[in-house]
Amino acid sequence: MAALFAGAAMAQVRYEDILKGPGADWLTYAGTYQGSRYSSLRQITPENVRSLVPAWTYHVPDANGLRTSPIVYRGVMYITNSNALFAIDAATGRLIWRYQDTRARKRGVNRGAAILGDSVYFTTTDNYLVALNRENGSVLFSHKFADVNTGTTSTSAPLVVKDKVLVGSAGGDSGMRGFIVALSAKDGSEIWRKYTVPAKGEPGSETWSDLREWGGAGTWLSGTFDPETNTLFWTTGNPWPDFAGQPRQGTDLYTCSLIALDLETGKMKWYFQFTPHDVHDWDAQSWPMLLEAPWKDANGRSYMRKIVVHANRNGFYYVLDRETGKFLRGTQLIDNLTWAKGLDDNGKPVLIPGHDPTPEGNWVCPSIKGATNWMGQSYNPGTGLLYVLTMQACGLFTTSSQKPVPMKNFAGGGATQAGGQVILRALDPATGKRAWEYPMPGSGNMWTGVVSTASGVVFSGDDDGHLVALDGKTGRHLWHYYTGDDLTASPVTFEVDGRQYVSIASGSNVFAFALFQAGQ
Amino acid sequence: MRSLPLFAVLFLLSPTCAVAQHGQTDLARNPLLKNPEAVAAGAKLYGISCAGCHGADGSGGRGPNLIHALESSPLKDDELFSTIRNGIPGSDMPATKLPDDDTWRLAAFIRALTGPAVENEVPGDAVAGEKIYWSSKAGCSNCHAILGRGSGMGPDLSDIGGTRPLAIIREAIIPKKNDPSRNYELAGNEGVTVTLKSGRVIRGIARNRSNYSLQVVDQSGKLWLLRMEQVKELKVLDHSLMPADYETRLSSAEIRDLLAYLAHQSLRPGSEARDLEGPNQ
Ligand code: HEC
Ligand code: HEC
Repeated sequence: MAALFAGAAMAQVRYEDILKGPGADWLTYAGTYQGSRYSSLRQITPENVRSLVPAWTYHVPDANGLRTSPIVYRGVMYITNSNALFAIDAATGRLIWRYQDTRARKRGVNRGAAILGDSVYFTTTDNYLVALNRENGSVLFSHKFADVNTGTTSTSAPLVVKDKVLVGSAGGDSGMRGFIVALSAKDGSEIWRKYTVPAKGEPGSETWSDLREWGGAGTWLSGTFDPETNTLFWTTGNPWPDFAGQPRQGTDLYTCSLIALDLETGKMKWYFQFTPHDVHDWDAQSWPMLLEAPWKDANGRSYMRKIVVHANRNGFYYVLDRETGKFLRGTQLIDNLTWAKGLDDNGKPVLIPGHDPTPEGNWVCPSIKGATNWMGQSYNPGTGLLYVLTMQACGLFTTSSQKPVPMKNFAGGGATQAGGQVILRALDPATGKRAWEYPMPGSGNMWTGVVSTASGVVFSGDDDGHLVALDGKTGRHLWHYYTGDDLTASPVTFEVDGRQYVSIASGSNVFAFALFQAGQ
Repeated sequence: MRSLPLFAVLFLLSPTCAVAQHGQTDLARNPLLKNPEAVAAGAKLYGISCAGCHGADGSGGRGPNLIHALESSPLKDDELFSTIRNGIPGSDMPATKLPDDDTWRLAAFIRALTGPAVENEVPGDAVAGEKIYWSSKAGCSNCHAILGRGSGMGPDLSDIGGTRPLAIIREAIIPKKNDPSRNYELAGNEGVTVTLKSGRVIRGIARNRSNYSLQVVDQSGKLWLLRMEQVKELKVLDHSLMPADYETRLSSAEIRDLLAYLAHQSLRPGSEARDLEGPNQ
């Protein structure tokens, strides 16, 4: 076995390496820029996956409910926790180094790191972008990009594209003004910033009656990127106050939307709002997945159309044209959807009255957690299927009579959740038609996404703490492992020294599995 | 809204119990914190009432080393206040029964003494100290990096002033004489020489090691992930790589200036102090 090390001049992670998508390494949150969480690895197959065994477990000090999706490069795994980043030997689980920002102003979840050149990046709860040397953990810079006193905090994994580190904003449930900021990968300096709630007088500001400057539209999940058109795709969160629509009459742009931005300037190319004037806290945070699908033009000729597909918390599944944002198709992601009759020709929901929050409460399906959420989906070009976690649950949505006060956690009401049947579904991405489904017992506590491989295995979690492997074609159960706790983040797969691993950071541990090897 | 666990749902249902996110300004806060006159007055009071037991520089005697004690488990303002006012019953730590303002003055001094170096004025010339740090005479950058410059082998010093009290930084450079604990706290910082079966020799710091694997960073900052079956011989240094002779190699003025430079190394401005009232503590 060869020593793993970088050459005298450290090996650099290049944009081109990220562009290639996951093989031995896993270099960006969603695996690929398209958001597909698909790996080209083939060592673990539907036939041999039953001999998958634990390789190591790393306990993350002070962690609970880890939300991080590991980044792996050349045998080193990078995971994050609140204001902390850990570099772990990916073949043994041994800690190499750890960075902890002891002066960050609050605790909070963190969804992961990003990597470029010889730097790993992550953000603190109080909005510092930190760059660390990927081999020895020394600090390259720590740059503040927003003030916590504006209600903004940071939870998402940065997205690295070319020379930029793109960072989102969180905190929309207690009032803030969402933005996406492009920072220099070299020193963290700001290149552009795009607010997701327009300022007074800007286009879109007419869709607000008030509270614009605290309007929400957080951008707390990393986006996707189309290299051919240099376009970023980013989803936005709920308007604030979450459940009280009265003080913010109008459609509240650009909340609960998908926005397409030019990478170089941050200029908006188009937007599509899934839930106009949301009052159910249905952030649009689930990936805008970029793919091509066979389509027919006006003359009936077939061609491959560039589309963006999106499973939304509001219960619908959307297919949009990637270049224009035009609505092409919409279907129901879940069966139990009570607030809208369907989508009209422009993709706007056709409302059924009596589902807004009231002082007494209205019963609505899906629940506040939504028909799906930020857990990562996977698209597998081999099976041609999109794997997405869905949840059937309902809840009582209420309003309160309190005056909205920013940064006081005032959501304008509340919501309960009842039921919570989680079902992993395989869809035809172009039509939303179901190919198979894998229902799970539990109560809707899981936050695990999917990774799928070229060999046709789908790894995900169930709602009961098991990491599971399914046959990507049929959904047949192949393997499972009980982690002993609710699953809180998504698995990844990578390879070190010719051995393929599947790994998940969840609860307070990172687990890694590989095929049984005598004398391992 | 991001991930919403069920308890948060319940919380939303009772919006009246909104929790303030930031440290409140109430009586639990020291009104004289970082006030230079108060700190100076506190230092005087300390010399009279406390130094006899805790040492003139806080390094301990009959009472504990306050810097070590409060670095590992810091006291909040109100706890420090009541410790000084009421003593610690059942121990040698006496009650002072000083008036409020003197108690706060003492507390402000204790916080200055035990808090991160960047939060206080530090004697010496930081610019001169910078030159010493990067000079070959001191050689600090052979082992320590600051903001990406210097070797990534040893502990990073980019935030040393922002995280460590001055006394601790001084102790790292001028170790206490005959402190046996010094060489027992090296896990993660052990100097190693590794001879591989291939014949290659690697010198560096073992960030971690077990009987099965070894994670070494060498002086160029390069990481070596090794399995013990690759290793022919592993030599572990029984003392720190950090030189112990700076007291003789550098003049006391040079050390003072070096400390001033290190005290300024902070990833956040000094005003953005760690918030002992905040949820992160
Ligand atoms: C007679 C000796 C004596 C004097 C005088 C004295 N201390 Fe102490 N102090 C102690 C001892 C002993 C302890 C440890 C008590 C224990 O926890 O067992 C202590 C503990 C403390 C602690 C708590 C440390 C921790 O671990 O949390 C603080 C703070 C402190 N002293 C501050 C002061 C200050 C300020 C003064 C002057 C006003 C002072 N002490 C005077 C003996 C003394
Ligand atoms: C040959 C390598 C080497 C040189 C040269 C060196 N150090 Fe160190 N230093 C270390 C190592 C290893 C440690 C960690 C182990 C320890 O604390 O002894 C350390 C620890 C420290 C610490 C404590 C860090 C912390 O986080 O607590 C400080 C401060 C420090 N060194 C400053 C300096 C300064 C200033 C110089 C130059 C005057 C210097 N060092 C020169 C290797 C070195």
